[in-house]
Amino acid sequence: MKDERSVKRGVSRYAAPKYLATEPVRRRVLGAALNIVAYVVMIGVAASTIGPFVIMLSVALTERVSTITFPMKIIPDPFSLANFILLLNSTMALRWLFNSAYVATIATLGGVITSTMAGYAFARGEFVGKILLFSLFLGILIMPNEALIVPQFVVLSRLGLVNTYTALIGPWFASIFGTFFMRQQYLSIPRDYDDAAIIDGANLWQIYAIVLLPQLKPAIVTLGILRFMGNWNAFLYPMIVTSRAHLRTLPVGLGTVARAGGDAGLDMAGAALGFIPTFLVFVIGQKYIIQGVSLSGVKG
Amino acid sequence: MAEMMESPATHLASKVWKQFLRSARWYPFLLANVVVFAIWNLVPWVSMIEVSFSKWDMLTPREWVGIDNFAGMAQDGLLRIALCNTFLYALMYVPTVMLVSFLVALFVNRPVPGMKAFRALYFLPNVTSVVVLSIVYWRLLAPRADSPLNYLLGLVGIAPQRYFLSTSQALPSVAGVAVWSSFGYLMVLWLAGLQGIPQELYDAALVDGASGLKLHLHVTLPMLRPTAAFILITSTISALQIFESIFVLTGGGPVNATLTVVYHIYRQAFIFGRLGYASAVSILFFAIILAIALIQGKHLRFGEGIY
Repeated sequence: MKDERSVKRGVSRYAAPKYLATEPVRRRVLGAALNIVAYVVMIGVAASTIGPFVIMLSVALTERVSTITFPMKIIPDPFSLANFILLLNSTMALRWLFNSAYVATIATLGGVITSTMAGYAFARGEFVGKILLFSLFLGILIMPNEALIVPQFVVLSRLGLVNTYTALIGPWFASIFGTFFMRQQYLSIPRDYDDAAIIDGANLWQIYAIVLLPQLKPAIVTLGILRFMGNWNAFLYPMIVTSRAHLRTLPVGLGTVARAGGDAGLDMAGAALGFIPTFLVFVIGQKYIIQGVSLSGVKG
Repeated sequence: MAEMMESPATHLASKVWKQFLRSARWYPFLLANVVVFAIWNLVPWVSMIEVSFSKWDMLTPREWVGIDNFAGMAQDGLLRIALCNTFLYALMYVPTVMLVSFLVALFVNRPVPGMKAFRALYFLPNVTSVVVLSIVYWRLLAPRADSPLNYLLGLVGIAPQRYFLSTSQALPSVAGVAVWSSFGYLMVLWLAGLQGIPQELYDAALVDGASGLKLHLHVTLPMLRPTAAFILITSTISALQIFESIFVLTGGGPVNATLTVVYHIYRQAFIFGRLGYASAVSILFFAIILAIALIQGKHLRFGEGIY
C-alpha cells in the first residue's frame, strides 16, 4: 500500500538533500496530530454508520416498542423475541425469506456459471459475430434497467411468466458485467496453458473446466458474492413481476408492508430479518467484496 | 469447363462451412447470455417502442394513438415536477456524497492501525437492502420531538424538524439518507484511485521540494481525475434512477415533493394502468441517461482495464 509512511521511506532510500533534514521532525509531529484528528473523525463517522443498525437490533429485541424515542436503552430491556414472533405470524416473512434464499442461490450459481462460459468465449474464442455481440452487451451495460421495467413486464405477461420464479431468476441467469469481468480474468492467464492442453488433445470444454477455471477461484468467489448481494437486495424488478404476496422476495415483501402503521418493534424486526443475511455474507466475504468493488467499480 | 466454373463456388462454400464449424464450437458458451439478452433486453426494447405509440391498460385491446403519448408529455405537469425533483435530488446528492466519501477516503488512507476495520464498517450500509435502511430511517427521522435525530438536534439547540413529512425537507432528507448509505462504496473507489498513484510521482515531487498540502494539490488531485470522472458519472446516473427509498420513505409525497421520474413511470404504468404513456416516458428517461453518459463518457476512463 502506498501511504504517507512509505513516502518518507521513499525519500530515505535516495539520499535526501540537506534542506530536507528538518522535515522529518516537523512531519512526525504534524503526522501524530493528524492521526489523532483522523481517529476522532473516523470514530464519529463509524458511530453514525453503525448507530442505526444498533438501534434497529435493540428495538427489534425489546418487547413492545411503539415508537423509537431518545434517550433509549441500547441493551434490550425487557429482552424478548415477541416482535419476531409477531412478524412471522402476521406477515409472510418466512416465505419471503425462503423465496429470497432460493432465488438468490439459483440466480447466483446460474449467473456465475454463464459468466465464466461467456467470458471464456470472449477472451479466447474466434467466431462470427463476436464484435457484434460484444458491442451489444456493452450497450446493455450502459442502459438503465429502470427504463425497461414497463416493457419487461409487458413481455413477461405475454409469455405468462408474471408471478413465477422463472421471472425472478431469469434476468439474473446471465450477467453482462460478470461476462466482461470474467473475460478480463481469462486474459490474465497466458495462452500457453490452452496451447499445451490442445496438444494433449483437450477440447474447448475441457480447457474451460479443467485447465482455466481452477485458476480463477478468487475471481469466481468475488463475482459470486457481488451477484448474491445484488440479487438479494433487488427491489423494483422483483416487485413488478410478482403481484402475489407468497412469491415476493424479502425486500419486496418488507417494502410493501412498511409504513403500514405497525409499531416500531415490528418494523425493526422486519428490518433486522432483512439485514442479518446480507450482514453474515458481508462478514464472511468482506475482503472479496471490497476487492471486487475497487477492481470493477460495481457493487452487485 | 463446367467443373472449373463450379470450383470457386464450392471452394467458397467449403470455406464458409469451415468458418462456421470453427465458430460453432464457441456458440454454446454464449447461449445462456444470448437467450437472457433476447428475452429481457432485445424484445422489451422493441415492445417499448411499439407500446409507446398506443393506449393500453392490458385489460382492453390496444389502441394505436400515434405520437399522442409523446405529445402528452409536454402537457404533463406531474412529469415536469418529477423531472425537476429528480435533477434537484441529483444536484443535492452527487456533490455531497463525492465530497464526503473523498474526505473519508483521505482519512482512512492514512497508515495508522484500525483503518481497515473502519473501511469495512463504512461499507456495511452498501450491502444492506435500501428497503431495510429506509424502514430504519423512517423511524429515526420521525417528526416527533423525541425521535432520535430530533433529540440529538435538540441537544445543540435546534428545533424539531419534520423531515419526510415536510414539502421542503423531504427531498433533502432522502438525499441525506442516500449519502449516509453510499459514501462507503464511493470511498472504496477513491481509495483504489489513491492507491493507484505511482509512488515515483510522490518521490519526484518530494525531491523537488514539494511537501504536505502542495504534494496533494499537485500530485494527488490531478492523478485522481479519472477516478473523479468515473464517480461523477456513475453516481449521477444512479441518482437519476432513484426509486426504492422514495417508495418506502415518502411514496412520492408530500404533495409530490419527492415524485421522481422512475416513480412517475411506476405509478403511471402499474397504478394507473397507462402502459403506453409510461413507455413513452421510459424512452425519454433513457434518452436523458444516454445523453449524460455520452457527454461525460469521454472522461469515463474506468473500464479501459475491464472492457
